[in-house]
Amino acid sequence: MFWLAEGLVYRRQESIIHSLDPRVKLIISLSLFLLSLFSSTIFEFIILLSAIFLLGVLSKVLRRMIKTITFSLTFVIMIFAINLLVGYDLIFSIIISLRFIAIISSSSIFFLTSSPDELDLVMRSLHLPYDLIFAFVTAVRFVPVILLDAVQIIDSQRSRGLEIEKGNIFKRIRNYIPVLIPLIVQSIIRSEELAEAMESRAYGFSKKRTSYYTLHFKRKDYFVLCLNLTLVVLFILLIHLFHL
Amino acid sequence: MIEVESLYFKYPLANDYVLKNISLKIGLGEVVGIMGGNGSGKTTLIKHFNGLLKPTKGFVKVFGKDTRKESVAYFSKKVGLVFQNPGHQIFSDTVWNEVAFALKNFGFEEEIINKRVKWALEFFNLIQYKDMSPLLLSGGEKKRLCLASVLAWNPDFIILDEPTVGQDFLQKEKLIEIIKMLVTQNKTVIVVSHDVEFIWLLQPRLILISNGIIVKDGDCRSVFKDDSVLEKCGITKPQLVELYEELYPLIERPPVDIVEARSMMLKLLRGLK
Amino acid sequence: METLTEIIKFINFSFSYSGSNALILKNINLSIEEGDFVLLVGPSGCGKSTLLRCINGLIPHLYSGVYEGEVIVDGELVKNKSVNELATKVGFVFQNPENQIFMFSVEKDIVFGLENIGLDRNEIDSRLEWVLHALGIEHLRYKPPYELSDGQKQRVAIAGVLAMKPKILILDEPTSLLDPRTALEFILLIKELNRKFGLTIIVVEHRIDLLTNVANRMIVLDKGEIIFNGCLKEVIKNKNLNLYGVNVPPVIALQNYLKDEGLIFNEFYLNVKDFSKEIKRRLIGID
Repeated sequence: MFWLAEGLVYRRQESIIHSLDPRVKLIISLSLFLLSLFSSTIFEFIILLSAIFLLGVLSKVLRRMIKTITFSLTFVIMIFAINLLVGYDLIFSIIISLRFIAIISSSSIFFLTSSPDELDLVMRSLHLPYDLIFAFVTAVRFVPVILLDAVQIIDSQRSRGLEIEKGNIFKRIRNYIPVLIPLIVQSIIRSEELAEAMESRAYGFSKKRTSYYTLHFKRKDYFVLCLNLTLVVLFILLIHLFHL
Repeated sequence: MIEVESLYFKYPLANDYVLKNISLKIGLGEVVGIMGGNGSGKTTLIKHFNGLLKPTKGFVKVFGKDTRKESVAYFSKKVGLVFQNPGHQIFSDTVWNEVAFALKNFGFEEEIINKRVKWALEFFNLIQYKDMSPLLLSGGEKKRLCLASVLAWNPDFIILDEPTVGQDFLQKEKLIEIIKMLVTQNKTVIVVSHDVEFIWLLQPRLILISNGIIVKDGDCRSVFKDDSVLEKCGITKPQLVELYEELYPLIERPPVDIVEARSMMLKLLRGLK
Repeated sequence: METLTEIIKFINFSFSYSGSNALILKNINLSIEEGDFVLLVGPSGCGKSTLLRCINGLIPHLYSGVYEGEVIVDGELVKNKSVNELATKVGFVFQNPENQIFMFSVEKDIVFGLENIGLDRNEIDSRLEWVLHALGIEHLRYKPPYELSDGQKQRVAIAGVLAMKPKILILDEPTSLLDPRTALEFILLIKELNRKFGLTIIVVEHRIDLLTNVANRMIVLDKGEIIFNGCLKEVIKNKNLNLYGVNVPPVIALQNYLKDEGLIFNEFYLNVKDFSKEIKRRLIGID
């Protein structure tokens, strides 16, 4: 069932990129994201997308990155079509679509190469309150679990003759009631069990909660960070000084 | 009749097959046990029997019809599946409506629905709760309710996924009774379970699965003889089989239940007086 | 003789959840000694889960109600201690391990509880090594929960609570989702913890055949009252155990039947091997 989320979710892997400090990965992802947001020529997007795909290759997640893009292709086509329809020219519509692809794929670099635990560490290094971090981590942790519940509920109800895709739009919405009610009930039960388990693990025990994990920049992290900065500056200079 | 021929199955985008080269035939009036370790593919297999999953290669036919050719609802009417966790199906406002749900989906007439629901609730001792919310029932009652909601539409095949989890002695005894009764009506009951003692009392045809492959298919006496296959599937022996093996050759075969074990022991110990 | 210390004690204890008049537990008097391995059984809804939650303080701290009498754990009144403080005395492993693994790797999940009680880095390091080794899960250290099998998840769930170094380990139907061999291995692991570290164990389990050879005490609960409480070998002999929903293993039930027929054995045999040996001994003896 996890195939559903295959293209979007972090998988344990090893590569040069994976081993970087998550803050560095976040900065790389963010710089490409911002550059994509402010770029406006096809040439810029060619450079940006090449850089993104190069990172995809280096981190061995290219295949899943492309999958993510394929998932969002419907949106890309929609954006493209709407732009054309409202009267923008072809080049502009292409640029808007490319921007969308670049934004999606640049942010996927971080999520495909960093585990939610690493995100947890980034948040800790930003000194966010632990309650907030814990809420975020468990939310991400239980998304696939609840998805699995949903699949089992759908299987159960289909086995009792429910045909979800049958009927007009109103009928279809009503068809989801036998799925949604058990899903909500199950999730409430699950959250009660989670609360018990949290208490039993001394969550909120003392104000002086310690942190076993701390992030430290290694030499390669500094190197990559500098490289990233240089390339960003170079890119901006290139575009603006030479009006490419 | 359910026919499975060279069935291979993998989830889309996955690399490995969950089921590999499964072939089997299950007729009417049988009790079939399916056992195997956690993650061996048992549940994936039974989901093929009513078309919830379709083979990647090979085919599954129910009463001669390929499961790819008709809807899940069409096959479910003949093959009733009761899943392990009642929480995954219970949603109605009343116990009565919970049982009526499937019958309405299958398009039975009002009159028949009322008759069937009443019968099922009475049969499972739940009729006194008919206007109550099913969510208020106890764990054991919920499990019975799920069974009732499937038996109500009178399918030819009844598949039970882990029916004994969390069930106490009396509930298990009742379940064995029900299964035996269903078989006398020429229905087939397929039980997926880890509970070796329960399976032994059913004396079923037993199918063992390991890593998506059927490693053994035969009557349960011969299956429980095969040490290496049991080991491979992570299955222990029922105590009565163990007793037979320890006492061999003093008793001629493993007793089917405790009553038989008793008379065997009595014969053994008194016969020597 | 070594003196036994009472680690858990219920004195004239009754409880009902708020908003309901029904007494879930009625006048419970019970004491459990350090190092005991207790099997707790009873039909569904008999109050087992409630009893367990009184020991680790979820009752009355998370669930309120009418609380009469006393529960004492390791010399202290439960109602005066918070659940969080009790977490370092009582480890609780719930039925579904999925719901008690919060983090994305085994290591991080174990560390989660240790950070909560404010341990320093060195102490966390040493406990981490110890618990991974004690449960034989070193190889799972960096795995996320969705790469674990059901049996492995159950072990990781134990690791999370064991790292807190509790004196008592409570397990609520821990094997119900496991296949027979994994379940057996799991129970033997618990026994090992009981023997090696003197951990007091309380297990609720329907499959009691798994536990007859490892537990030393058995408590039967029905409608909120203790029906039987004592040495497992004595309690399990009772003929009407199955009326309380207990799945009496066939070899035990068989001995009860034979007793009715006037065949008395010297001893009650808890497993098939010992029972068969006795049968053979008799036959040869009579010969």
